[in-house]
Amino acid sequence: MSSSAGQQQIKTLKVLGEDVWKNKVEKINSELFTLTYGTIVSQLCQDYDRDFEKINDELYKMGYNIGVRIIEDFLARTALPRCTDFNTTSEVISKVAFKVFLNLTPTIANWSQSNDAFSLIISDNPLSDFVELPIDAMKSLWYSNVYCGVLKGALEMVQLDCDVSFVSDILRGDNQTELRIKLNKVLKDEIPVIED
Amino acid sequence: MAIETLLIVNKSGGLIYHRNFGEACEKRKKLTSNDYLIIASTLHSILAISGQITPRALKLNQDDIDYTIPYVPGVGMPSSDSSNNSKMSKLGSFKGDDYFKESFTSWNKSGLRQLSTDQFTMFVYQTLTGLKFIAISSSVLPKNNEMETSKNLNLANQIGDNFLRKIYCIYSDYVMKDPLYSLEMPIKSENFDKKVQEMVYNVQ
Repeated sequence: MSSSAGQQQIKTLKVLGEDVWKNKVEKINSELFTLTYGTIVSQLCQDYDRDFEKINDELYKMGYNIGVRIIEDFLARTALPRCTDFNTTSEVISKVAFKVFLNLTPTIANWSQSNDAFSLIISDNPLSDFVELPIDAMKSLWYSNVYCGVLKGALEMVQLDCDVSFVSDILRGDNQTELRIKLNKVLKDEIPVIED
Repeated sequence: MAIETLLIVNKSGGLIYHRNFGEACEKRKKLTSNDYLIIASTLHSILAISGQITPRALKLNQDDIDYTIPYVPGVGMPSSDSSNNSKMSKLGSFKGDDYFKESFTSWNKSGLRQLSTDQFTMFVYQTLTGLKFIAISSSVLPKNNEMETSKNLNLANQIGDNFLRKIYCIYSDYVMKDPLYSLEMPIKSENFDKKVQEMVYNVQ
Protein backbone atom coordinates (compact mmCIF):
# COMPACT_ATOMS: atom_id res chain seq x y z
CA MET A 1 0.00 0.00 0.00
CA SER A 2 1.40 3.42 -0.91
CA SER A 3 1.77 5.85 1.93
CA SER A 4 -0.84 8.25 0.54
CA ALA A 5 -3.40 5.46 0.40
CA GLY A 6 -2.47 4.58 3.96
CA GLN A 7 -2.90 8.19 4.98
CA GLN A 8 -6.29 8.21 3.31
CA GLN A 9 -7.38 5.10 5.15
CA ILE A 10 -6.25 6.45 8.51
CA LYS A 11 -8.21 9.63 7.90
CA THR A 12 -11.31 7.63 7.03
CA LEU A 13 -10.90 5.60 10.20
CA LYS A 14 -10.96 8.79 12.22
CA VAL A 15 -14.12 9.94 10.47
CA LEU A 16 -15.66 6.51 10.88
CA GLY A 17 -14.89 6.40 14.59
CA GLU A 18 -16.39 9.81 15.15
CA ASP A 19 -19.46 9.01 13.10
CA VAL A 20 -20.15 5.74 14.89
CA TRP A 21 -19.64 7.35 18.27
CA LYS A 22 -21.83 10.32 17.44
CA ASN A 23 -24.72 8.73 15.61
CA LYS A 24 -24.75 5.02 16.39
CA VAL A 25 -24.03 4.59 20.10
CA GLU A 26 -26.26 5.26 23.06
CA LYS A 27 -24.56 7.50 25.61
CA ILE A 28 -24.47 7.52 29.38
CA ASN A 29 -22.85 9.85 31.87
CA SER A 30 -19.22 8.80 32.12
CA GLU A 31 -19.13 9.52 35.86
CA LEU A 32 -21.40 6.56 36.39
CA PHE A 33 -18.87 4.41 34.56
CA THR A 34 -15.89 5.88 36.43
CA LEU A 35 -17.49 5.41 39.82
CA THR A 36 -18.66 1.87 39.08
CA TYR A 37 -15.13 0.91 38.13
CA GLY A 38 -13.87 2.60 41.28
CA THR A 39 -16.21 0.49 43.39
CA ILE A 40 -14.97 -2.70 41.74
CA VAL A 41 -11.33 -1.86 42.39
CA SER A 42 -11.94 -0.85 45.97
CA GLN A 43 -13.89 -4.05 46.58
CA LEU A 44 -11.02 -6.05 45.12
CA CYS A 45 -8.61 -4.25 47.44
CA GLN A 46 -10.71 -5.41 50.35
CA ASP A 47 -11.18 -8.97 49.10
CA TYR A 48 -7.52 -9.51 48.33
CA ASP A 49 -6.24 -7.83 51.47
CA ARG A 50 -4.38 -5.17 49.51
CA ASP A 51 -2.27 -7.71 47.64
CA PHE A 52 -1.92 -5.48 44.60
CA GLU A 53 -0.22 -8.04 42.38
CA LYS A 54 -3.27 -10.26 42.73
CA ILE A 55 -5.58 -7.32 42.11
CA ASN A 56 -3.72 -6.54 38.89
CA ASP A 57 -4.21 -10.13 37.76
CA GLU A 58 -7.86 -10.10 38.70
CA LEU A 59 -8.50 -6.85 36.80
CA TYR A 60 -6.67 -8.31 33.83
CA LYS A 61 -8.83 -11.42 33.89
CA MET A 62 -12.00 -9.35 34.18
CA GLY A 63 -10.86 -7.29 31.22
CA TYR A 64 -10.10 -10.39 29.21
CA ASN A 65 -13.62 -11.67 29.72
CA ILE A 66 -15.00 -8.32 28.65
CA GLY A 67 -12.71 -8.23 25.61
CA VAL A 68 -13.74 -11.56 24.13
CA ARG A 69 -17.32 -10.34 24.14
CA ILE A 70 -16.91 -6.67 23.35
CA ILE A 71 -15.18 -7.53 20.07
CA GLU A 72 -18.52 -8.77 18.73
CA ASP A 73 -20.18 -5.49 19.62
CA PHE A 74 -17.34 -3.61 17.98
CA LEU A 75 -17.47 -5.63 14.77
CA ALA A 76 -21.27 -5.57 14.54
CA ARG A 77 -21.19 -1.80 14.92
CA THR A 78 -18.35 -0.96 12.57
CA ALA A 79 -18.16 -3.97 10.18
CA LEU A 80 -14.51 -3.13 9.58
CA PRO A 81 -12.57 -5.53 7.34
CA ARG A 82 -9.68 -7.57 8.72
CA CYS A 83 -6.57 -5.50 9.37
CA THR A 84 -3.90 -6.16 6.78
CA ASP A 85 -1.03 -5.04 9.00
CA PHE A 86 -0.32 -4.14 12.59
CA ASN A 87 -0.15 -0.46 11.69
CA THR A 88 -3.79 -0.49 10.71
CA THR A 89 -4.61 -2.43 13.87
CA SER A 90 -3.08 0.33 15.97
CA GLU A 91 -5.08 2.99 14.14
CA VAL A 92 -8.31 1.03 14.48
CA ILE A 93 -7.75 0.59 18.21
CA SER A 94 -7.01 4.22 18.93
CA LYS A 95 -9.26 6.01 16.41
CA VAL A 96 -12.26 3.72 16.33
CA ALA A 97 -12.37 1.34 19.30
CA PHE A 98 -11.32 3.77 22.05
CA LYS A 99 -13.45 6.48 20.45
CA VAL A 100 -16.58 4.36 20.24
CA PHE A 101 -16.46 2.88 23.73
CA LEU A 102 -14.68 5.55 25.77
CA ASN A 103 -14.82 8.70 23.62
CA LEU A 104 -11.09 9.25 23.66
CA THR A 105 -8.35 8.87 21.11
CA PRO A 106 -5.02 7.70 22.56
CA THR A 107 -1.87 8.75 20.75
CA ILE A 108 0.14 6.02 19.09
CA ALA A 109 3.85 6.25 19.88
CA ASN A 110 7.09 4.34 20.33
CA TRP A 111 6.88 1.86 17.46
CA SER A 112 9.45 -0.88 17.85
CA GLN A 113 12.06 -1.37 15.12
CA SER A 114 10.38 -4.46 13.77
CA ASN A 115 6.95 -2.80 13.76
CA ASP A 116 5.45 -5.40 16.07
CA ALA A 117 4.94 -3.29 19.18
CA PHE A 118 3.56 0.14 19.88
CA SER A 119 2.38 2.24 22.81
CA LEU A 120 -0.88 3.97 23.41
CA ILE A 121 -0.51 7.21 25.33
CA ILE A 122 -3.78 7.73 27.16
CA SER A 123 -4.50 11.24 28.33
CA ASP A 124 -7.71 11.97 30.20
CA ASN A 125 -8.22 8.37 31.17
CA PRO A 126 -11.87 8.30 32.28
CA LEU A 127 -11.28 5.38 34.66
CA SER A 128 -8.88 7.37 36.80
CA ASP A 129 -10.98 10.51 37.25
CA PHE A 130 -11.24 11.37 40.96
CA VAL A 131 -8.61 8.75 41.85
CA GLU A 132 -5.52 9.04 44.03
CA LEU A 133 -3.58 5.91 44.84
CA PRO A 134 -2.65 5.30 48.49
CA ILE A 135 1.08 5.16 49.22
CA ASP A 136 1.21 1.38 49.51
CA ALA A 137 -0.42 0.98 46.07
CA MET A 138 1.77 3.52 44.26
CA LYS A 139 4.47 0.99 43.41
CA SER A 140 2.45 -2.06 42.53
CA LEU A 141 -1.14 -1.37 41.46
CA TRP A 142 -2.00 -0.68 37.82
CA TYR A 143 -5.31 0.96 38.46
CA SER A 144 -6.64 0.71 34.89
CA ASN A 145 -5.31 -2.79 34.24
CA VAL A 146 -8.73 -3.80 32.95
CA TYR A 147 -7.80 -2.09 29.64
CA CYS A 148 -4.93 -4.55 29.13
CA GLY A 149 -7.22 -7.51 29.54
CA VAL A 150 -9.85 -6.06 27.24
CA LEU A 151 -7.32 -5.44 24.47
CA LYS A 152 -5.75 -8.85 24.92
CA GLY A 153 -9.09 -10.65 24.77
CA ALA A 154 -10.49 -8.67 21.86
CA LEU A 155 -7.34 -9.00 19.74
CA GLU A 156 -7.18 -12.70 20.45
CA MET A 157 -10.66 -13.17 19.02
CA VAL A 158 -9.48 -11.73 15.71
CA GLN A 159 -6.48 -14.08 15.78
CA LEU A 160 -3.87 -11.59 16.96
CA ASP A 161 -1.91 -13.00 19.88
CA CYS A 162 -0.57 -9.98 21.78
CA ASP A 163 1.06 -9.05 25.07
CA VAL A 164 -0.57 -6.01 26.60
CA SER A 165 0.66 -4.22 29.72
CA PHE A 166 1.03 -0.81 31.30
CA VAL A 167 4.42 0.87 31.21
CA SER A 168 3.58 3.98 33.19
CA ASP A 169 0.59 5.63 34.79
CA ILE A 170 -0.05 9.21 35.86
CA LEU A 171 -1.62 7.82 39.03
CA ARG A 172 1.77 6.34 39.98
CA GLY A 173 3.48 9.70 39.56
CA ASP A 174 4.72 9.15 36.00
CA ASN A 175 4.21 11.98 33.55
CA GLN A 176 1.99 10.04 31.17
CA THR A 177 -0.15 6.92 31.03
CA GLU A 178 1.40 4.51 28.58
CA LEU A 179 0.05 1.14 27.52
CA ARG A 180 2.25 -1.20 25.49
CA ILE A 181 0.89 -3.68 22.94
CA LYS A 182 3.25 -6.27 21.49
CA LEU A 183 2.23 -8.67 18.75
CA ASN A 184 3.50 -12.18 19.40
CA LYS A 185 2.08 -13.78 16.33
CA VAL A 186 -0.90 -13.96 14.03
CA LEU A 187 -2.75 -17.19 14.70
CA LYS A 188 -3.00 -18.14 11.02
CA ASP A 189 -4.47 -21.58 11.63
CA GLU A 190 -7.53 -20.15 13.25
CA ILE A 191 -8.43 -17.68 10.53
CA PRO A 192 -11.51 -19.06 8.76
CA VAL A 193 -10.51 -20.36 5.33
CA ILE A 194 -13.24 -18.46 3.57
CA GLU A 195 -11.31 -15.23 3.86
CA ASP A 196 -8.32 -15.94 1.62
CA MET B 1 -38.88 -12.35 1.72
CA ALA B 2 -40.24 -14.40 4.56
CA ILE B 3 -37.67 -15.83 6.93
CA GLU B 4 -38.56 -19.35 8.00
CA THR B 5 -35.56 -20.46 9.97
CA LEU B 6 -32.63 -18.83 11.68
CA LEU B 7 -29.54 -20.75 12.77
CA ILE B 8 -26.43 -19.51 14.55
CA VAL B 9 -23.32 -21.68 14.41
CA ASN B 10 -20.29 -20.98 16.61
CA LYS B 11 -16.75 -21.01 15.33
CA SER B 12 -16.16 -24.64 16.16
CA GLY B 13 -19.20 -25.73 14.17
CA GLY B 14 -21.69 -26.24 16.98
CA LEU B 15 -25.26 -25.04 16.75
CA ILE B 16 -25.92 -22.43 19.42
CA TYR B 17 -29.32 -21.17 18.30
CA HIS B 18 -32.10 -22.32 16.06
CA ARG B 19 -35.63 -21.12 15.60
CA ASN B 20 -38.42 -21.64 13.08
CA PHE B 21 -40.92 -18.94 12.26
CA GLY B 22 -44.35 -18.94 10.69
CA GLU B 23 -45.45 -21.91 8.65
CA ALA B 24 -42.10 -23.56 8.92
CA CYS B 25 -42.86 -24.22 12.58
CA GLU B 26 -45.31 -26.92 11.59
CA LYS B 27 -43.46 -28.19 8.57
CA ARG B 28 -40.12 -28.66 10.20
CA LYS B 29 -41.31 -30.20 13.43
CA LYS B 30 -40.26 -33.52 12.01
CA LEU B 31 -36.65 -32.53 12.51
CA THR B 32 -35.36 -33.21 16.00
CA SER B 33 -32.90 -30.89 17.69
CA ASN B 34 -30.28 -33.51 17.02
CA ASP B 35 -30.99 -33.18 13.29
CA TYR B 36 -30.45 -29.46 13.53
CA LEU B 37 -27.10 -30.03 15.24
CA ILE B 38 -26.06 -32.24 12.35
CA ILE B 39 -27.29 -29.74 9.75
CA ALA B 40 -25.33 -26.99 11.47
CA SER B 41 -22.06 -28.86 11.56
CA THR B 42 -22.55 -30.02 7.98
CA LEU B 43 -23.01 -26.41 6.91
CA HIS B 44 -19.90 -25.52 8.86
CA SER B 45 -17.89 -28.08 6.89
CA ILE B 46 -19.42 -27.09 3.56
CA LEU B 47 -18.46 -23.51 4.26
CA ALA B 48 -14.88 -24.56 4.87
CA ILE B 49 -14.77 -26.77 1.79
CA SER B 50 -16.31 -24.14 -0.45
CA GLY B 51 -13.56 -21.78 0.67
CA GLN B 52 -10.96 -24.25 -0.60
CA ILE B 53 -12.34 -24.81 -4.07
CA THR B 54 -12.26 -21.32 -5.53
CA PRO B 55 -11.92 -21.30 -9.33
CA ARG B 56 -8.38 -20.49 -10.42
CA ALA B 57 -9.42 -17.47 -12.48
CA LEU B 58 -11.12 -15.95 -9.47
CA LYS B 59 -8.12 -16.54 -7.25
CA LEU B 60 -5.94 -14.54 -9.64
CA ASN B 61 -8.24 -11.51 -9.82
CA GLN B 62 -9.38 -11.55 -6.24
CA ASP B 63 -8.29 -7.96 -5.66
CA ASP B 64 -10.65 -6.73 -8.38
CA ILE B 65 -13.74 -8.18 -6.79
CA ASP B 66 -15.90 -5.76 -4.90
CA TYR B 67 -17.19 -7.24 -1.67
CA THR B 68 -19.13 -4.18 -0.64
CA ILE B 69 -22.71 -4.79 0.34
CA PRO B 70 -24.93 -1.75 -0.09
CA TYR B 71 -27.18 -0.70 2.74
CA VAL B 72 -30.76 -1.68 1.99
CA PRO B 73 -32.98 0.70 3.98
CA GLY B 74 -35.58 -0.65 6.29
CA VAL B 75 -34.83 -4.38 6.24
CA GLY B 76 -36.46 -5.81 9.33
CA MET B 77 -37.40 -2.39 10.66
CA PRO B 78 -40.97 -1.34 11.41
CA SER B 79 -42.38 0.60 8.46
CA SER B 80 -42.24 4.30 9.19
CA ASP B 81 -45.75 5.06 7.91
CA SER B 82 -47.45 2.66 10.30
CA SER B 83 -49.59 4.22 12.99
CA ASN B 84 -47.67 2.78 15.93
CA ASN B 85 -44.73 5.05 15.23
CA SER B 86 -44.49 6.16 18.82
CA LYS B 87 -44.22 2.58 19.96
CA MET B 88 -40.99 2.01 18.04
CA SER B 89 -38.78 0.08 20.40
CA LYS B 90 -35.23 1.12 21.09
CA LEU B 91 -32.44 -0.75 19.37
CA GLY B 92 -30.55 -1.82 22.48
CA SER B 93 -27.29 0.13 22.70
CA PHE B 94 -27.65 1.35 19.13
CA LYS B 95 -28.72 4.92 18.55
CA GLY B 96 -31.00 6.03 15.75
CA ASP B 97 -33.81 4.34 13.88
CA ASP B 98 -31.68 1.66 12.25
CA TYR B 99 -28.65 -0.35 13.34
CA PHE B 100 -26.45 1.00 10.56
CA LYS B 101 -26.91 3.20 7.54
CA GLU B 102 -23.92 2.73 5.30
CA SER B 103 -22.68 0.02 2.99
CA PHE B 104 -20.26 -2.48 4.48
CA THR B 105 -17.68 -5.03 3.38
CA SER B 106 -18.48 -8.71 3.49
CA TRP B 107 -16.11 -10.79 5.61
CA ASN B 108 -17.08 -13.90 3.73
CA LYS B 109 -14.94 -13.73 0.62
CA SER B 110 -14.70 -17.22 -0.73
CA GLY B 111 -17.11 -19.30 1.28
CA LEU B 112 -20.72 -20.31 0.71
CA ARG B 113 -22.96 -17.27 0.84
CA GLN B 114 -26.18 -18.43 -0.69
CA LEU B 115 -27.89 -21.69 -1.48
CA SER B 116 -30.92 -21.64 -3.76
CA THR B 117 -33.35 -24.49 -4.23
CA ASP B 118 -36.85 -24.86 -5.61
CA GLN B 119 -38.29 -24.65 -2.12
CA PHE B 120 -36.19 -22.09 -0.31
CA THR B 121 -33.16 -19.82 -0.37
CA MET B 122 -30.50 -19.96 2.31
CA PHE B 123 -28.24 -17.04 3.24
CA VAL B 124 -25.00 -17.32 5.17
CA TYR B 125 -23.28 -14.44 6.95
CA GLN B 126 -19.95 -15.11 8.60
CA THR B 127 -18.28 -12.73 11.01
CA LEU B 128 -14.60 -11.98 11.53
CA THR B 129 -14.66 -14.03 14.72
CA GLY B 130 -15.91 -17.13 12.91
CA LEU B 131 -19.54 -16.97 13.97
CA LYS B 132 -22.05 -17.95 11.28
CA PHE B 133 -25.57 -16.62 10.94
CA ILE B 134 -27.78 -18.63 8.60
CA ALA B 135 -31.25 -17.62 7.47
CA ILE B 136 -33.57 -19.78 5.41
CA SER B 137 -36.08 -17.80 3.43
CA SER B 138 -39.19 -19.20 1.81
CA SER B 139 -38.87 -16.93 -1.19
CA VAL B 140 -37.61 -18.63 -4.32
CA LEU B 141 -35.93 -16.84 -7.17
CA PRO B 142 -37.94 -16.96 -10.41
CA LYS B 143 -36.13 -18.72 -13.23
CA ASN B 144 -37.02 -16.52 -16.20
CA ASN B 145 -33.88 -15.59 -18.00
CA GLU B 146 -30.32 -15.61 -16.85
CA MET B 147 -29.80 -11.85 -16.64
CA GLU B 148 -32.89 -11.38 -14.55
CA THR B 149 -31.98 -14.24 -12.25
CA SER B 150 -28.50 -13.00 -11.47
CA LYS B 151 -29.89 -9.53 -10.74
CA ASN B 152 -32.49 -10.97 -8.39
CA LEU B 153 -29.89 -13.20 -6.86
CA ASN B 154 -27.73 -10.21 -6.07
CA LEU B 155 -30.52 -8.19 -4.54
CA ALA B 156 -31.76 -11.10 -2.46
CA ASN B 157 -28.21 -11.64 -1.26
CA GLN B 158 -27.86 -8.00 -0.24
CA ILE B 159 -31.12 -8.08 1.67
CA GLY B 160 -30.00 -11.32 3.31
CA ASP B 161 -26.68 -9.84 4.39
CA ASN B 162 -28.34 -6.67 5.67
CA PHE B 163 -30.82 -8.71 7.67
CA LEU B 164 -28.19 -11.01 9.12
CA ARG B 165 -25.87 -8.17 10.09
CA LYS B 166 -28.76 -6.76 12.10
CA ILE B 167 -29.22 -10.11 13.78
CA TYR B 168 -25.49 -9.93 14.56
CA CYS B 169 -26.08 -6.50 16.14
CA ILE B 170 -28.86 -7.96 18.29
CA TYR B 171 -26.58 -10.87 19.20
CA SER B 172 -23.81 -8.48 20.25
CA ASP B 173 -26.25 -6.69 22.53
CA TYR B 174 -28.45 -9.35 24.06
CA VAL B 175 -26.16 -12.37 24.05
CA MET B 176 -22.69 -10.89 24.54
CA LYS B 177 -23.85 -8.58 27.32
CA ASP B 178 -25.63 -11.34 29.20
CA PRO B 179 -23.37 -12.15 32.17
CA LEU B 180 -24.88 -15.60 32.57
CA TYR B 181 -24.13 -16.63 29.02
CA SER B 182 -20.98 -18.69 28.55
CA LEU B 183 -19.23 -18.32 25.22
CA GLU B 184 -19.81 -20.96 22.55
CA MET B 185 -22.78 -22.41 24.43
CA PRO B 186 -26.42 -22.52 23.28
CA ILE B 187 -28.27 -19.22 23.56
CA LYS B 188 -31.16 -19.22 25.99
CA SER B 189 -32.02 -15.56 26.16
CA GLU B 190 -35.61 -14.43 26.11
CA ASN B 191 -34.72 -10.87 25.18
CA PHE B 192 -32.73 -12.08 22.23
CA ASP B 193 -35.61 -14.31 21.15
CA LYS B 194 -38.03 -11.44 21.35
CA LYS B 195 -35.87 -9.05 19.35
CA VAL B 196 -35.16 -11.62 16.67
CA GLN B 197 -38.82 -12.47 16.40
CA GLU B 198 -39.72 -8.80 16.01
CA MET B 199 -37.22 -8.37 13.24
CA VAL B 200 -38.30 -11.51 11.39
CA TYR B 201 -41.88 -10.38 11.68
CA ASN B 202 -40.96 -7.00 10.18
CA VAL B 203 -39.28 -8.67 7.23
CA GLN B 204 -42.35 -10.69 6.37
